[in-house]
Amino acid sequence: MTITRRDVLLGATAAAALLPLAARAQTSEVVIGATYPLSGAGAQVGVDAQRAFETAVDIINNDQDFDLPLAKGVGLPGLGGAKIRMVYADHQGDPQKGRAEAERLITQEKVCAVLGSYQSAVAVTVSQICERYQVPFLSADNSSPSLHRRGLKYYFRASPHDEMFSTAMFDFLDAMKKKKGVKADTLALFHEDTIFGTDSANAQTKLATERGYKIVSDIKYRANSPSLSAEVQQLKAANADVLMPSSYTTDGILLVKTMAELGYKPNAILAQAAGFSEKALYDAVGDKLEGAITRGSFSLDLAAKRPMVGKINDLFKAKSGKDLNDNTSRQFMAMIVIADAINRAKSTDGEKIRDAMAATDIPGEQTIMPWRRVKFDEMGQNNDADPVLLQYIGGKFVTIFPAQAAVAEAVWPMK
Amino acid sequence: MTVETIVQSLASGLLMGLLYGLIAVGLALIFGLMDVTNFAHGEFLMIAMYASFFLFTFFAIDPLLSAPLVAAALFVFGAIVYLLIVRFAMRAKANAGMVQIFSTFGLAIVMRGLAQLFFTPDYRSIPQSWLGGKTVSIAGIFLPEPQLVGALVSIAAFVGLYFFIHRTDFGRALEATREDPGAVALVGIDKNRVFAFGWGLGAALVGLAGAIMAVFFYIYPDVGASFALIAYVTVALGGFGSVFGAFAGGIIVGLVEAVTALMLPPSLKSVGIYAVYLLVVFIRPRGLFGSM
Repeated sequence: MTITRRDVLLGATAAAALLPLAARAQTSEVVIGATYPLSGAGAQVGVDAQRAFETAVDIINNDQDFDLPLAKGVGLPGLGGAKIRMVYADHQGDPQKGRAEAERLITQEKVCAVLGSYQSAVAVTVSQICERYQVPFLSADNSSPSLHRRGLKYYFRASPHDEMFSTAMFDFLDAMKKKKGVKADTLALFHEDTIFGTDSANAQTKLATERGYKIVSDIKYRANSPSLSAEVQQLKAANADVLMPSSYTTDGILLVKTMAELGYKPNAILAQAAGFSEKALYDAVGDKLEGAITRGSFSLDLAAKRPMVGKINDLFKAKSGKDLNDNTSRQFMAMIVIADAINRAKSTDGEKIRDAMAATDIPGEQTIMPWRRVKFDEMGQNNDADPVLLQYIGGKFVTIFPAQAAVAEAVWPMK
Repeated sequence: MTVETIVQSLASGLLMGLLYGLIAVGLALIFGLMDVTNFAHGEFLMIAMYASFFLFTFFAIDPLLSAPLVAAALFVFGAIVYLLIVRFAMRAKANAGMVQIFSTFGLAIVMRGLAQLFFTPDYRSIPQSWLGGKTVSIAGIFLPEPQLVGALVSIAAFVGLYFFIHRTDFGRALEATREDPGAVALVGIDKNRVFAFGWGLGAALVGLAGAIMAVFFYIYPDVGASFALIAYVTVALGGFGSVFGAFAGGIIVGLVEAVTALMLPPSLKSVGIYAVYLLVVFIRPRGLFGSM
């Protein structure tokens, strides 16, 4: 083929015509990073988190009829209909890897916001890196209270933290004692040794002292231990009225199995979610957990009041084969919240997104959670995120507390 | 702290320790035979647990019955790993030690990755088996049946191994090759066959441990990591190259772990293991029963 002058001219014209398109193409995409354990002991949670984010991104990028910010219409209207693209990073549950991956997301992948990170210990390092690069970090599912108390400007959390969760647990115990006269005076804490377990136990210890409960056993154990028989032995010897575990899935499974093996059965288990809201745990040892109670920020029975919750659950289930749970629902909402802020910022600039985040105000009805609203205080914490308590009855969770969200009475003692 | 608590802890520690011993024996055998550390030992355990899980899920074969099958499959797998990877790594002219380390370490990472790809990172467990969830109670001391059977199998496997090494021709060939791989070639023993057999045997032992553990432990691609570290300490504590040392080391580790957890906060229970290990290394660098 010979190239004539006419072809060159035509080509040049075509290129010139395409130029503005190419320039626009750069802003037609908003890149958001998410760092999760995609391999290692927490990998199952990380892989499920990806499905939760994909569900939210599908709803934002495509035209959907839900009462959620950005669901209607295509993409982010504030940025000319730009679509969201996710970049994932694997931190393997290791704070140091989390630090390196956050840096890579920001400097190499040019993400304009970071979501994370399941393990609170990793959120500590990731949020520090985000602060340094002035990129907003939204804790989707980290629950350690100390995270938002560090005075970071770019740190946000839409969901409750463990003091709010623990307060709900003690409110519930108070109510059970007063209304039903159950015996719940002695407590056994069982928590893993990273920031999640430690913060959770600190919150629980403080509340127990304030409200006159006696902690008869406080066991801090090494996460991912090959055996928990010595620990369970001590729990059994203490024989508290209520067992309060703060464990990830692997340890939770081993705990329940070992309890059954050593013949330990408490009257009630009141768990700080994490592993106790994961399907894997109930698949493995659910038969031994009839009547176990866990705190949560999500409950599928909300779908009765808000049909959108059931439909979004169907979308998620089509991707993952699982129902939304405490973790995946919060991850889904984190995506919606950050996209809403980027849309209002009309920019991918970190500082502008931060300011838009600080001005966030989403009413509870426009979420899939039992929250009153999403509105951050000066520390970046949403104090209007009401926790719920869920009881595992007949193979599924029912909301039993607080009264305004409850659909059933609590069963006590557990079977 | 009651007497009951102490006895229970010691019993649990002993049962766990016998299993640690069974896991470590395979590692010690391979190391003793050819001075190669198998850094994929934990992943061998993981594969065995998955094999046991899938045999149960798809064919409803109880882990107790499938244990010999799993051990046999791991035997073949171990021999193949030797013939395809380790044999070539041992031929390296420069940095032979490093090449061996990285070849088995690389294998471990590949196995974990493949397990995550094919089996997903979900945690599995065997819900209903003959032994699962059953417990024998003697005078208030609870002995979970899966661990009890595991302990008996460990003892039987160790006794079997001991007699195999010391009483059979192949065992003697194994010993001879261990002592002088050059000289055995002169009497017509194929070094590669002996090494492949040794790898097979080591893998079969850890396979047996994995099959039994599948009943009471959760299964996921990284499960080997928790046990592999203990196995390395066990081997070092018992003495490099000593199969008996590895087995005794396992029991010591199990008991020390239980006692530490009883006396110190449980989050420090592995501190006890490493403290004993350090002590042994100070006093006797070759390990308790090491001969080198």
